[in-house]
Amino acid sequence: MGTSQAIVAGITAEWMETPTSALNDQARRRAEDSALAAMVDQYASALYRVAYSVLRNQADAEDAVQEAFVRVLRHRDSLGEVRDHRVWLIRIVWNIVLDRKRRAKTRPETDDVAELARVLPSTGLSAEELAAAAQHHAHVLSCVDQLPAKERQVLMLSAFEELSSVEIASVLGISESSVRSRLFRARNLMAELLDHVRNSGERSLR
Amino acid sequence: MNSNPQDPRVSASASSPAEETLRLIASLPSPAGLEERVQSALETAPNAALRWGRVLAWPRTLRPESGWMRSAAAAAIVFVVAGGGWGVYTKVEQNQPAKVIVMPARMPAQGGFGGAGAMRTPQTLPGPKVPQPVKTNPAEPKTMKKPVATHRQAGNGAGQPTKTAGEAGAPR
Repeated sequence: MGTSQAIVAGITAEWMETPTSALNDQARRRAEDSALAAMVDQYASALYRVAYSVLRNQADAEDAVQEAFVRVLRHRDSLGEVRDHRVWLIRIVWNIVLDRKRRAKTRPETDDVAELARVLPSTGLSAEELAAAAQHHAHVLSCVDQLPAKERQVLMLSAFEELSSVEIASVLGISESSVRSRLFRARNLMAELLDHVRNSGERSLR
Repeated sequence: MNSNPQDPRVSASASSPAEETLRLIASLPSPAGLEERVQSALETAPNAALRWGRVLAWPRTLRPESGWMRSAAAAAIVFVVAGGGWGVYTKVEQNQPAKVIVMPARMPAQGGFGGAGAMRTPQTLPGPKVPQPVKTNPAEPKTMKKPVATHRQAGNGAGQPTKTAGEAGAPR
C-alpha cells in the first residue's frame, strides 16, 4: 500500500511540475501587473480630472477611471505596443466619459452650481463669494454645453495644460490643424454666446 | 477677436471666462485614496475579465497552465465518447429482419345487406353510327387522268390573257 501511494505521489508530482513556458508566463504576468499598478499611481489623477471635466460628478468620474483601467487590464497583452501611455489612457477615458454622457442624456441634469460650490477651492472666500463664483462657473459651463460637440471637445481638452495640440489631436483622432481650427471656432462661438447672454441680462435689468 | 486660426497668439491671449472656468475644473484635485480604490478594483477585476471570454472556467487549484490537466480532460472526453459509442453499438441488433404484420381479414358487418354476388354493369348509350366504307376492287387497274389545260389565265377578270412584261410597256 505504501509503495503504491509513493508511486501515485511521484506521478502526481511529475504531472504537476510547472514547465518553463508557464514560469515565463507567470513572470510576464507579474511584470504586467506591476506596470499596471505603476500606471495607476502615475495617471489616475489626470484621468480623473479629464473624466470630471466632462461628467462633473465625482462618483461618475471615479467610476470612469476604474473602467478605463479595467479595460487596460483586459488588453494588457498589447501594453508593450503602446507608445505614449498617458495619451493612450486619456483617449480610453475620454471615450468612456463621452459614452456615459451620451447615455446619461435621459437622466436629469446634475446640479452644476451645488457641485461646483462643493468642489471649488474656498480659501479666502466668504460663503456668498463662493456661491457667486459657483453660479458664474455654472453659467459659463452651460454656455460651453451649447457649443457644437466637435468644438466643445477641443475646448475642454485644451484646458488641460499638460496636453499639447498634438496630443489633443491624438486623443480625438484628428489632425493638429483641425484641432487649431476647431479651437479657434470654439473661442469665437463662446465669445458670441457670452456676449449674447450678457446683453440679454442687461436688457432684462433695464 | 482674431481672424486667423493659425495665429500662435490665439492660444496665448485667449483667456476667456470659459477657458478660465475649464482650467479651474481641469486643475481640481482628485479625491483622496483614488489610486488605492482603483487598485482594489483591479484586483477583483481579473476574475470578471476571465469570465467574459469563457463559458467554463477552470478551478483555481487545477490551473491548466501546465498542460497535464488539459491532456487528462481530453483523454476523459475521448473515453466517454468511445464508451458511449460502444454501448450503443452493442445494444443495437444488427440485420434485424423487417417485421411483417399480418392484417386480419376484413369481415363484413353482421346484419347488413349483402350483394348476393351481383355485379354492377354500367348503362351505356348507343354509340355513333359510322357508315360502312365502300370496298373497291383492288384488282381493278387505275386509269391515269390526263390533266386538262386551262385556257383561262388568272389575273384577268375579263377573261383576257395577261400581257407579258414586254407587252406591258416595260421601260426600253
